[in-house]
This record gives sequence, structure tokens and C-alpha cells, in this order.
Amino acid sequence: MTWQRETFKKIKQIPREEHVLPGTALCAGCGGLEALRLAAKVLGDHVVYVNAAGCFTMLAAYPYTSFKGSWLYTTMGSAPAGAQGIRDALDILIAKGRLPQGEDVKVVVLGGDGSTYDMALSATSGAMNRRLDFYYICYDNEAYGNTGMQLSPATPYAARTATSPCGLQHPAGTAQEKKDLFEIWRAHRPPYIATVAPRYPLDLEEKFARAAAFTGPKMFLALAACPTGWLYDPGTTPEVARMAVETGLWPLKEAINGVVTHTYIPKRKPVEAYLRLQGRFQHLFEPTVQTDAIRHIQERVDAYWEQAMQEQA
Amino acid sequence: MDSQMMTGNLAAAWGARLADVDYIPAFPITPQTEIVEALAKWCERGELAARFVSMDSEHSMMTAAGAAEVTGARVFTATSSQGLLHAFEVLYAISGWRAPLVLVNVSRALAAPITLEADHNDVLAARDAGFLQIHAETCQEVLDSILMAYRIAEDERVMLPVIVNLDGFTLSFTREPVSLPDPDTVRRFLPPFRPSHLGFTASSPHALGVAVIGGTPYAYFKHQMHLAARNALEVHRETADSFQALFGRRYDVVEGYRLEEAEDVLVMTNAGASQGKAAVDAARAQGKRVGLLRLRMIRPWPADAIRQALRGRRAVAVMDQNVAPGQGGILYREVAACLYHEAARPGALCSFIGGLGGQHLSEGMFHAIFEQTAEAGVAGRGCGPVLLYSAEEHREMTQLQMVAGTVGRDGR
Amino acid sequence: MVAVRFHGRGGQGAKTASRILGTAAFMSGYVAQDCPIYGAERRGAPVAAFTRFGREPIRERGAIAHPDVIVVADATLLDDVAARVLEGADDRTVLFVNTSLSTEALRAHVPIPLQVTARDVTGIALQQLGQREAISALLGAVAARLVGLDWESLRSAIGRELEDLGLPEPVIQRNLTVAKQCYETVEPAPLHKGQGWTAGTTSIHSPAYEPPTKGTARISAAGNSVLRETGGWRTFRPVLIADKCNGCWLCFAYCPDGVIAMNRDDRPVVDYAHCKGCQICIHECPTHALVAEREQEGGVAWTAK
Repeated sequence: MTWQRETFKKIKQIPREEHVLPGTALCAGCGGLEALRLAAKVLGDHVVYVNAAGCFTMLAAYPYTSFKGSWLYTTMGSAPAGAQGIRDALDILIAKGRLPQGEDVKVVVLGGDGSTYDMALSATSGAMNRRLDFYYICYDNEAYGNTGMQLSPATPYAARTATSPCGLQHPAGTAQEKKDLFEIWRAHRPPYIATVAPRYPLDLEEKFARAAAFTGPKMFLALAACPTGWLYDPGTTPEVARMAVETGLWPLKEAINGVVTHTYIPKRKPVEAYLRLQGRFQHLFEPTVQTDAIRHIQERVDAYWEQAMQEQA
Repeated sequence: MDSQMMTGNLAAAWGARLADVDYIPAFPITPQTEIVEALAKWCERGELAARFVSMDSEHSMMTAAGAAEVTGARVFTATSSQGLLHAFEVLYAISGWRAPLVLVNVSRALAAPITLEADHNDVLAARDAGFLQIHAETCQEVLDSILMAYRIAEDERVMLPVIVNLDGFTLSFTREPVSLPDPDTVRRFLPPFRPSHLGFTASSPHALGVAVIGGTPYAYFKHQMHLAARNALEVHRETADSFQALFGRRYDVVEGYRLEEAEDVLVMTNAGASQGKAAVDAARAQGKRVGLLRLRMIRPWPADAIRQALRGRRAVAVMDQNVAPGQGGILYREVAACLYHEAARPGALCSFIGGLGGQHLSEGMFHAIFEQTAEAGVAGRGCGPVLLYSAEEHREMTQLQMVAGTVGRDGR
Repeated sequence: MVAVRFHGRGGQGAKTASRILGTAAFMSGYVAQDCPIYGAERRGAPVAAFTRFGREPIRERGAIAHPDVIVVADATLLDDVAARVLEGADDRTVLFVNTSLSTEALRAHVPIPLQVTARDVTGIALQQLGQREAISALLGAVAARLVGLDWESLRSAIGRELEDLGLPEPVIQRNLTVAKQCYETVEPAPLHKGQGWTAGTTSIHSPAYEPPTKGTARISAAGNSVLRETGGWRTFRPVLIADKCNGCWLCFAYCPDGVIAMNRDDRPVVDYAHCKGCQICIHECPTHALVAEREQEGGVAWTAK
């Protein structure tokens, strides 16, 4: 079964209007901002963003905001609970006739991987369990980025971060495997989950358009290629994202009521094609090539896709 | 007026019900749980037109509460002890949003060691969080204070959240007669919550709780919270006037008990003050000129009222049901600070610490307080901090240590 | 005491430059102190860092209000109000600017009659290192020369600080070579050494209570971030070669900041006031219709409103 886009078939269907305006303090070439900008083109302006501590905190820093919609900064561990309070209050006010239906807004959580995979996981689980009608966008740059790139549970095997340095004990960087958040989310059976990568804008736009049909938690895991933390030239953010997808390391998929579909089946280039682009993996190639570590990464990807293709068949 | 027997917890729930709250995010914790159980039941039966949501932690609960409040709903929630501390950073966040909700805290001592009974280290830890604090002595006062708290919180001059505190067990689980105010009269006292500046709507977007860069905006906004909290003293007085006119009961920021011609004054808070009042009566019967000052409003700190009540006294004793390790009693320090500039300040200021973790305060302990305070007054020199701990308790403790195997049979 | 203030954009190395200078002064036997202003700065946003050194214990902390030397990593910062580059400067202050402009041309651009020196450090870096950022060693070298520190201390300091950043030895060696070149391109400056500043008594204005709308960290002006221009972050600007453009919209689709709009003829129009110069559009353009041009100072409007 091949996944078909229904709303966004060609690039010129991407809405021209911008909803996240420039003048932000985010890094040049931010992959997370790329994803948010594209998402916002489908979400529109009748939105309240509920933010967890992270790089996106800088999108609304007094006296400037980049949003034409609303914004509430909460804490690092409780943005989904903030979404709960806002959604519930809106529903109550509408039900009691204190707010016209036309004034309703979508509630969208923004959290980085540090918040999402760690501290806010309990709050997210709670929100999903309560079937909260909201969007969750996790911009995943695979480390605590706002504090200068420290290890997070989203950091993949062998990445070097400020707190997973390479040395005699750990020549291949971190030994941890990236936490499988998609599956943790899926265990809660929200109506919609998707992974996206902004290098694949139509895939991304289509998924936000599809999600709109569902009431309940709509969960997005967005690849946020990060020039500052992954150590590559900002101009190559899309290329890094493309290689993440084409090597199979970042599968593009969705789960509707728990049923998974891969929305793009890559031919799967060798993982080196992705790893070599980034300074955080440089130690795998210099001064000597760490073949075991690279093979390990390759084997994990191969195993993932073998199982995925079996399940899909 | 309808009077009935109810616990402090049920009185708190009635406070929320009569305030006609819209939203109750909840999380259970002893000794608070009864409050949210009652509210859940009323919401289910349609007796309260509010949405009740079971949250995943107090941290989430407070976030949802604050977020709903700034969306324009009237919000109530309750917690205690560990729960209050689990939500701690959120307290600061939502006071910074200027979310005028009411949080009931049922005081319980903090772990470790974990325990269930009351002292005030939990609520006093939150004294600088930007919440106003009202500490209640009776079940009636719990209910009445919640109604007053909404009116004060939602005033444009204040716009800050309020904690209404009651003691675990000695108030939370204690039944006594409570008069239920008439709902229509409550509506006259507390107008519907229709904040003009709050709410996330399609037509008037705004960003709230945004980051600031540098100390200039931060200092400005933080200082605004200070001014707002100071305004609450005047707003409390107006609210108390109005409450008295409608319901006949009067609450001021401090309550003096037999202060007339009192040489020595004992300062207390919360439910323990009832025992303090009994001790004053007993001492007066013996001809001792003593009185009691109960601090009802802890934030904003009613410095003028305290000064006025304590000026010219021979000696003052502050009874702290809390301990700041390495410092002593929290309230003692605050009382001392506000007396510094009083020309006729008391001749001696004594610090007593008792009732930690629900420790029983005996009549004998109050005798000891009055005796030591009188001696300090005569000597012109304060004392303490004195831990109120009896020889009997000491023996009991040794027994426990023997069983625990941390003390030998010889008691060493 | 000598007080040196570094201004740069996040990622250019102002902080490391201040540390190199601090370490060099320390190794020369001075009492030294250095610190950055940490905050929400991202790559490209204005940042500042501070180095103090002298013979006596240093009693100052934090930002330097009255610098003897100001080292500016990026000339565009001069016109960026938020960067406050010239704050506290007067005719005794030595100003060094990394710019391709001549010293004379720069002097005409600076409102206060400072002692101005201009050198194209980025040009040297691009030529020798082939990188568009991280000129910390070069800025540190210039600063060390201006304040009269010797090369040997500086050399050790650069080695230490770059090693501390985890840079490989060959990169450090290349930096040292170019740093020497920068060190020799300027002369020690006559320094005022923090003398002569007297502070008056601050007039205290405690704010009065305001309604919560105004008195809360709240923004009612939706989308007003456009008032803050980020064009100054660029080292290179994307320029369209119109006849090569096939109108595919990819540059528009991939731009993180949304600063590329497609006109009626399907040609990209770049908002240069906000384009941060990440060069994604240049990398992704399938027909190479967008090319990178080195920014020349003065060509762009810079006001942060």
C-alpha cells in the first residue's frame, strides 16, 4: 500500500501566507523553525501555542512575538498540562455562552526533545490519556539544545554532545540508543501521530492537514536538524534532513488510531552518508574509522526497516 | 442561615462551590483529598457547573489551573505539603501570569521523614511565590476566606493568585458547625469573573508569560507583583467590610484576642490559635495580663497592623509551627523585622517552635511560653528559638529509638 | 586596570576571544578576569564578552560600562541598536572593527571621535581558514596586540583555549598562523586604563502600579518580531540570477525564517532586512539561480526598531 497525499500534491500548494514571522532570535538555518513555519501554514493564526522551556522560548521574548496567534510560556515539564487548562477553559466558556464559538482557537504544544522525551513525558502521557484535543509538536534536535547541546534521551547512539564526550571510555560517543518516543506515544493510542522532516514539505503539510480531521491528541515528532549543535554549515540543514530520511534513520510515518503507515519508503543509503555530514559524528571517521560503531548503527536501521516492511505487508 | 456540621475540607469544597467556579484540575494527596472528592461528586451530579479534571501530578495540576485562569475561567484547586512543593515552580509561573485563582493548601509537614500531620513549613515555603496567603483558624473561616480570596484576587488592583491555608487533621478532618452563606447573597458579594484582559481568542491574540531579556523588564514586572500584593491590604479591608455587611462576620488581616491591657502577647497562626486563645483565657483567669495576636494574612505581610497590635507591649512571643533549619522560626523573623522601626517596640521578642509534624501542643506548653515570655519581658531580653518539647516526649522518643535499635537498652 | 569589551554575533567567537585575552594577560603575570553575557543569544544574535586585567585585584564584575578598548567582530553591529557597541565610549576609547572598510571610511561611520582601527579579519579568515565564522583566535590576537601583550603569552593562550574547545591540533596550528598575521597587522594603542570615570548619584524612579495588561510580561502586538531586523547576521547574502530561476518554489519552501516570498512570476523576493544568511536557499536551488555574495558593510539597513 502506497501512502497518497490528498491535499498537498505539489509544492505550489504550500500556502504563501506566513504565520511565524521573521525577526526571531533562533539560529540561522534552524531545522526546527523550518518545521514550525510549515506546520503553521496549515494550522493558521487561530492558535494558542503552549510552550515548554527550550529554543522556541525565544520566539516570544519581550517585547516581540513572532506569532500572529497567541502564546503561553509554561514550564519545561508541563506544557501539555497548560494545553489542558486552556482547552478545558475554552470549552467551558463556549458551553456557558461566555465565548462565541467563532473565537475558539487550536491549542498547540511546542516542546523540544529535552522537554518531550524527559521531563514532560508524564504530563504528555496524562494529556493523551485524557484524550485532550490538542496538537503536540516536538522539535527534535536530539539534545538539550538551548543549554548548549547536552545529552538527551533523543540523542542517537554514537553522537557526541557536551555531556557525552568522546574519550578512552567512550570512543564512539554516547552508548545510549535514541528513545523510541513514537512507540511510547503510540501505546497511548492517540488518533494521530506522525513523524515529519521539513525537507519533505508536502509530506509535512499533508500530515497536518490529515490530523485536522481528528479530535483528540495529534502528535508530531519533527526532525529539527541543528547546525549549531550537530556541527554542520547552516546551509546544509535540508541536506542533513534529507540524508536522515534517505538512510532510513528518520522514518517518515504516521499512526492513525495506532495503525502505522510509512509515508515514504527510502531506498536507504548507507548511514555514513548521513553521519559524515555532521561534526557530532566526526569522531567515527577521524582519526580512524570506527567501523564497529558505524556497523551497529547500520544494523539497527536495517532491523527497523525489515520489521517495518514485514508489518506493513 | 443554614448551619451544619462539616469538616474543614468540606468547608473548603463549599467555598469553591459557592464561588461558582468553572474549572477544577485535581490531584489527590492526604489530608486534602476530601476536598476534591466532594467537588468531583458535585460536578458529576450537576450541583456545580464546573469541569473537574484528574491531572497527572500537582505540577500539571497547577499549570492547568493557571492556564485555564488566564484563558478566562474561574479556577479552584487544592493541594498539600509534597504536592505544593511538587508544583513549586508553577506557583511562580502563574503568579507571574497574574492568574487570580484560589488554591487551598491543607498544611502537612514535609518529608523527610515523611509524615501526614500538620505544620506550616509547606505553605510558608511558598510565601515568596507571588501568591497571597490567608491562613484560617476555623472551618467557617476556611469557607468565608475562599469567597473573600476570589474577590481580592480578581480585583484589578491585585490580579494575583491566593492560597487559603488550613491545618491538616486539626481543621481538615475536624467537624464543627459551619454556616453556609446564601448563594444569591454570595453572587452579590462576588460578581462573575469577566476579566477584560485575559483569554486566548481568535480575534485578540496575545503572548503571555513571555521571556524577558535583561534585568530592566524583569525588575519592572516583578516589582509590579509586589505593588499588586501591597494593594491587597486595602482591597482586603474593603472586602472584609462588604463581607461583614452581607454575612455579619468580620475578618481582618490580623485578629487580636484579649489584647486590651495585655502586657505580653503571643503571636500565632492557623487552627492552633484556638488553643492559644484557651491558654490566654486560662492565664487571664490567674490574673496574668496576656493576649493573643493571630496573623490571618501572611502575604501581603500586614506590617502596620502587626506594629499597631504589638507596640508598647512588655514582651511578645512568636509561636512558629515551622522551622527553618539554621535560622529558627520563619514568622519570628518577619515579626521582628516589622517591629524594628517601631519606637515603642516590645521590650523582648521571644521565639518558640512547636507543633512540628502535628506534635501536640499541651496546656502546659502554653504555660511555659507565658512564663518564659514574662521573664524575658522583665529582663528586657528576648529568648529562643525554644523548641517546645516535654520531658515526657523525650522519654517516649528514647523508647522509640530503643525499638529502632539506634539507642542501647541503657538509653545511650 | 585595562578593560576590553568584545562585541560579536553568536558563533563568531567573541566569548572565546575574551578568554584568550584573559588567559594571555594571566600568563603575562597580570591579575585577570573575563566573562561573557550569557542569555538567549543564538548564532547570529549580538553577544558581548569582557576582559579585565591589571596589577591590582579587580573589584569590578559583569559588563564593562567604560571600556578602554572595544573589539567589534562584525561591523554591522555598529548600527545595531540592540548591540550597544559604543555605549560608554568616548574620545579616549580605542575601537577596533573587523571590516573590509578602510580605517578612514570606518571613522566617517562612527559618531563619536574614537581612536579607530579597521582590519578585514573575516577576509583573512576566509582566505586562510576557509570558514565563515569562528574568528576568536584572530580577534583575541588583535586585542592582545592593542593592549600590548606579548606574542608568546598570546600563543600559549590561543593554544589552551582552542584545545579546551576540543579543536584538533591541525586546526589550532592553522589558527595560530593566522592569529600571528592578525597580531602583526595592528600596533599597541595608547590606553587610558580606566581612569577618570566618575559616577553621579542615580536618580531613583520606582515605578507605580499599572493595570495587569501593562504590568505583566505580555505582548498584545501580534507578529511584531518583524520590527527586529536580523539581516545583520549575514556574512553572505543570497542574490538571484533571474534568468536561471525556474520558479520551482523550493527556496520559499525551505527557508526557515520565511523571508522568501514568491512574486507573481514565481520568482523569489528576499526580505534582506530579515534574511539571516543561512544559505539554505543557495544550497537547495536546483538551477543555481541563487548565489552567495559577501556582505559589504553599509549596504544594508540595520535599524532594530
